[in-house]
Amino acid sequence: MSNANPEPHRVDTVIDARGVRKSYVDGTRTVKVLDGIDLAVNAGEMVAVVGPSGSGKSTLLHLLGALDVPDDGEVTIAGHALGRMGRRELAQFRNRSLGFVFQFHRLLPDFDALENVMMPGRIAGMGVQKLHERARGLLVEVGLEHRLDHFPSQLSGGERQRVALCRALLLEPPVLLADEPTGNLDPESAEHVFELLLALQGRHGTTTVLVTHNPDLAGRCGTILVLDNGALAAPAADSAES
Amino acid sequence: MRQTPGGDRGRGVHWQMALPLPLTLATRYLKSTRRDAHVSFLSKLAAGGIALGVAALVLVLAGLSGLQGFLRDDVLARTPHLEIELPADGADVDGVVESVAAVPGVEGVREILRGRGWLLIQGDPINVQVVGFDGELPAFFPRSAEEAEAALAQGVFVGRGVALRWGLEVGSGVDLVSPRPSLTPFGPQPRIQRLRMAGTFETGRTEEQDPRVAVPLDTARRLFGGGGRRLEVRATDLETALAVAPRIEGTLPAAAELRTWRDLNRGLFFALELEKTLMFLSVFLIVPVAAMALVTVLALLISSKRSEIGMLHAMGTTPRDVERAFLGLGAMLASIGLIGGAVLGVGGAFLLDRFRLIRPPGDAYFIDHVPFRVEPGDLGMVVAATVAFTFLSTWYAARKAGSLEPTEVLGAP
Repeated sequence: MSNANPEPHRVDTVIDARGVRKSYVDGTRTVKVLDGIDLAVNAGEMVAVVGPSGSGKSTLLHLLGALDVPDDGEVTIAGHALGRMGRRELAQFRNRSLGFVFQFHRLLPDFDALENVMMPGRIAGMGVQKLHERARGLLVEVGLEHRLDHFPSQLSGGERQRVALCRALLLEPPVLLADEPTGNLDPESAEHVFELLLALQGRHGTTTVLVTHNPDLAGRCGTILVLDNGALAAPAADSAES
Repeated sequence: MRQTPGGDRGRGVHWQMALPLPLTLATRYLKSTRRDAHVSFLSKLAAGGIALGVAALVLVLAGLSGLQGFLRDDVLARTPHLEIELPADGADVDGVVESVAAVPGVEGVREILRGRGWLLIQGDPINVQVVGFDGELPAFFPRSAEEAEAALAQGVFVGRGVALRWGLEVGSGVDLVSPRPSLTPFGPQPRIQRLRMAGTFETGRTEEQDPRVAVPLDTARRLFGGGGRRLEVRATDLETALAVAPRIEGTLPAAAELRTWRDLNRGLFFALELEKTLMFLSVFLIVPVAAMALVTVLALLISSKRSEIGMLHAMGTTPRDVERAFLGLGAMLASIGLIGGAVLGVGGAFLLDRFRLIRPPGDAYFIDHVPFRVEPGDLGMVVAATVAFTFLSTWYAARKAGSLEPTEVLGAP
């Protein structure tokens, strides 16, 4: 069970953030984005983080994804304290332990769908034949067996996000971080992609943090947390019911 | 082979995916340079510029090498391999000759005497270098078999060009004048020796302004006295001459001075090398300009691929691998230019030399065509300098790509 005020570290806690603060300098003023975030997410859990634009959702995701470093506080993912790792170690950690899905698919335009899905494995230095089979299997799983040779520019928005989802899950990372994965899709495609996300997350048992604006999608996650004024909180009862 | 879009993938993994990651990225990025018209144009400009620079360098250096080789051969044909200047106070010439001749690699040693004077032909004085020799005409007075056949045993040998210009023939009488005066009751008088022309030798292309004549040693002694006594040493070849020089030097009396063919022509060789170096530097300027275009291509490409680079970082690619990918891309573009330029330069030099395509006016220059000779060392230097310069330019751009922070580039679409 995840919460915004974690108890002492438990063995099955996969994401553990304590006292995380982050601010940015904008010209002459300092903007406090995250102000003492505490978060614990257990293995296999799916947590939705909602909040208004500019509330720091993406910043939180970047910190949990070892893409940025907090000004203060500590982030521990799957027992690894990110603050104690070097750049190379962090890169290796992101490769093996984290999967990312962004609002804009971020597929590599010079590689076709299958090659895009294989990419994390190539970065990990795995053999291409094995990767080929695994990537193909995932793309078949999301119904893209007829699009393997297609480049991102030849795919629809929904198909691109499905490829991005496969890519994020190729190495079966313990944690999936999704930043508005359906934010750029029409309602039908968004629904399809989200269904797939839920199905894959359930099948692979991946601990997932989903940042979204969409209250319907958030409501279908196990836990909803609201990020507002730099702090995380459980949603108010009336808003949760709605 | 890639299938057409729409079909299921019937093939295995594309070969580029089996390369090390930076090369996989670089080969695909190379392909992507063709997609964007602006990047494509700049890529061609950069590769073309490097090719042009390399081709120009190879051609210029080949032309200079050919020309210098010609001059060098011409000059060296008229220069002793080694020359020993003996002290004027009566050194034991025979002893020195014997000890030098015993050094391995030495083929012959004999005394020569050098001086300057005038050849009086039909009353006109011609400033000449006079070489007194003993026995056969020295090898540094090259002559044809016909000339050797027609030569007299005694007399003065003059260059073919001088003989032709003044209408001299074997047996013609000429006066050789020495600046060393004889004291007579009428005061100091120049020493003049009436000689018959004994034969001709091949006139070097470069010696028309300062012709040489060769006379028997005793004649030279009479005209110039005992000063300027030298030994001419002939080694098996030019390189051997340089190699044996230190050993010969060890056998010489203290005041004797040894000069190699390189010392004797130091000024000329220095001028030739200086000319080549300056030409290399000035023509090489094309390469940095092309390398700047290469930086521009990479900067444009990096800028257009910022979000991809961010995603690669997110997926765990190290900054170093991103850097290597762009280094690889730069190296590929530079290699296209380098190889193209080298082929163009070497091929062009071959054709220009083979078909003698550059022919200066015969009455104004001493060569009928410009010879081209591609020296492996020159080619190596061009390649090394181009690789170094393009690597530095590429490295600068690649470092920028490697240092991009993922959070800077993942936010925007």
